[in-house]
Amino acid sequence: MIHRLDPRTKQAILMGISVVSVWGQTAFLASFSIMMILCFRSAGIRISDFVREIRYFLLFLLFIYGLRTITIDSNWIPFFSLESAGDAMVVCWRLLLIVMMGVLLVATTRTAHIRAAMIWYLGPVPVVNEKMAATMVGMIVRFLPLILFRGGEISDALRARCIEQRKNPVVRTVKFTIVLFRRIFLDADEFALAMQARCYNEQRTLPKLTFTRIDVIAVAMVFLLSFSILFDTCVSPIFLLFHFG
Amino acid sequence: MTIIETLNLCHEFADGTQGLKGVSLSFKEGEFTVIAGANGSGKTTFLRHLNGLLSPSSGSVTVCGKSVDKDPMAARQQVGMVFQDADSQIVGETVYDDAAFGPENLRLAQDEIDDRVEWALAAVDLTGYENKRPHYLSGGEKRRLAIAGVLAMKPRVLLMDEPFSNLDYPATRLVIDQIVALNNNRHTIIVTTHDLEKVIAHAKRLVVMEKGRVVDDGKPDDVVKGIQRFSIRPPCSVQLGKGILPWVS
Repeated sequence: MIHRLDPRTKQAILMGISVVSVWGQTAFLASFSIMMILCFRSAGIRISDFVREIRYFLLFLLFIYGLRTITIDSNWIPFFSLESAGDAMVVCWRLLLIVMMGVLLVATTRTAHIRAAMIWYLGPVPVVNEKMAATMVGMIVRFLPLILFRGGEISDALRARCIEQRKNPVVRTVKFTIVLFRRIFLDADEFALAMQARCYNEQRTLPKLTFTRIDVIAVAMVFLLSFSILFDTCVSPIFLLFHFG
Repeated sequence: MTIIETLNLCHEFADGTQGLKGVSLSFKEGEFTVIAGANGSGKTTFLRHLNGLLSPSSGSVTVCGKSVDKDPMAARQQVGMVFQDADSQIVGETVYDDAAFGPENLRLAQDEIDDRVEWALAAVDLTGYENKRPHYLSGGEKRRLAIAGVLAMKPRVLLMDEPFSNLDYPATRLVIDQIVALNNNRHTIIVTTHDLEKVIAHAKRLVVMEKGRVVDDGKPDDVVKGIQRFSIRPPCSVQLGKGILPWVS
C-alpha cells in the first residue's frame, strides 16, 4: 500500500506529522511507533537493517540525549535530573520517528517521483525556483555516493603513503580535504557538462502523479493517529485530575 | 552527406594554452572514424566542440548545416556524447532514471520515454537492470549505461571519448560489438583513443591529432603505417606485418 501512495501524500504526511509531533507525548509517540513498525513491515524494511543504516544518527541522538539530560545549576556544576531525562527521551523519540518516516519515504518512492512532488509543492511559493530546487535534490542523491567513493579512494591513497606517520591531525585533515575538494569540484564540472550534453533544461517531462482512494485512506489514518495527541495533552490530564485528585 | 563540419577550429583555454589550432574536418553520415592521438593532443577538446560543450575561440562547427555555437541544443539532439569517465556522466539515481534523463529533457511524452528507455537498455544488454542503482554497476555496465543514456535520445552521431579505458576484456568486447552494431544501423560514429588496437579494424577512417592539429587523415591502412612517429603505438598485427586485423574474432 505504501508503495502505491502518491508521493505528494507521503510528503504531506511526513511534513504534517513532523509538525504535529512537537505536541505529542508518550501516547502519541507510542501509537505512532506501532504504526511505523507496521509500515516498515509492509514496505519490507527490516528493523535491523534500518538500525545499521542509521547507526551514526543513533550516536548523534545519544549525544543529544546526553546534552538534554545533564543540566548546569547556578554554581555551574553539571547534574543529572530524572525529569529532564524523561523530556530528553521524548525529544529523541520524536526525532527518531521523523527519521523513520523519511527512510520510509525514500525506500518506497522513486527519486524522480519525490522530485516531481517537490515541484508540485514548491510551485506556488514565490521566489523559489521549484524546478531548480528539485534538480538539486536529485543531484545530491546522485552525487553523495560519488563523494563518499572519492573520499574513500583519497583516504586509501594517503594511507598507502603512510599518512598515519603524521601525528598532527590538522595536517592530516588538510592533506585529505584539499585533495577531496579539488576532486569533487572537477567531478561537479564534469557532471554539469554531462547534463548539458544531454540537453538539460528546466522544462522537462515529469512523472505523472495521481491521487487515488488509498491516499484518502492514508490521510484519514494519519488524522486519526493525530488525535492521540489530544489524549496526551487534554484527556489524560483531565482523567487523572478527576480520578486521582 | 556531410553531417558535421569544422572549419579552421581553434580553442584557447583560460590559461592561454592552445587546445586546438585550426582543425578543419568533415564527417559523412554513417561514417566510422577513429581519432587517435597522444595525451594532450586535443581529442577530447575537439569532441566537446562537436557537442556544443565548448565554444570556439575562432573558426566554426556545423552539425547538419547549423552552427553549433548559435544553437547548441539542436546540435546536442543530433550528436550524443559518451564521456571517458562513465561515473561522472551518469546522472540518474537508477538505471531507468539515467536512461530517461535525455528524453525527459527533450520533453517527450511519458509513453515515448518508456519505449525509448526500454529500447536503449536492450541495445546495450542492460534489460532487467532498470531499478538498480548505477553506483553499484561494474565498470563495463556503467559504460554501457552511459551509451544507453545517449542512445535514448536517438542521436544521428555518437561521439565516444576513450570508450575502452578501464574496461576488462569481456566488457571491451561488448562495447566493441555495440559500437559496430550501431554503425551498421547507420549511426555516424566518432571514437577517440590512444589505443588503436581494439577498434581500428572496424573504422573506415583514421584521423591523427598532435598538439591540437590534425597531422594525418585517411584510410586506416594508409595512415597506420607511419603512426608511431606521432607517439601512437600501432596495432600488433601491423607491427608483425600482417596489416590491420580485428582485435576480437
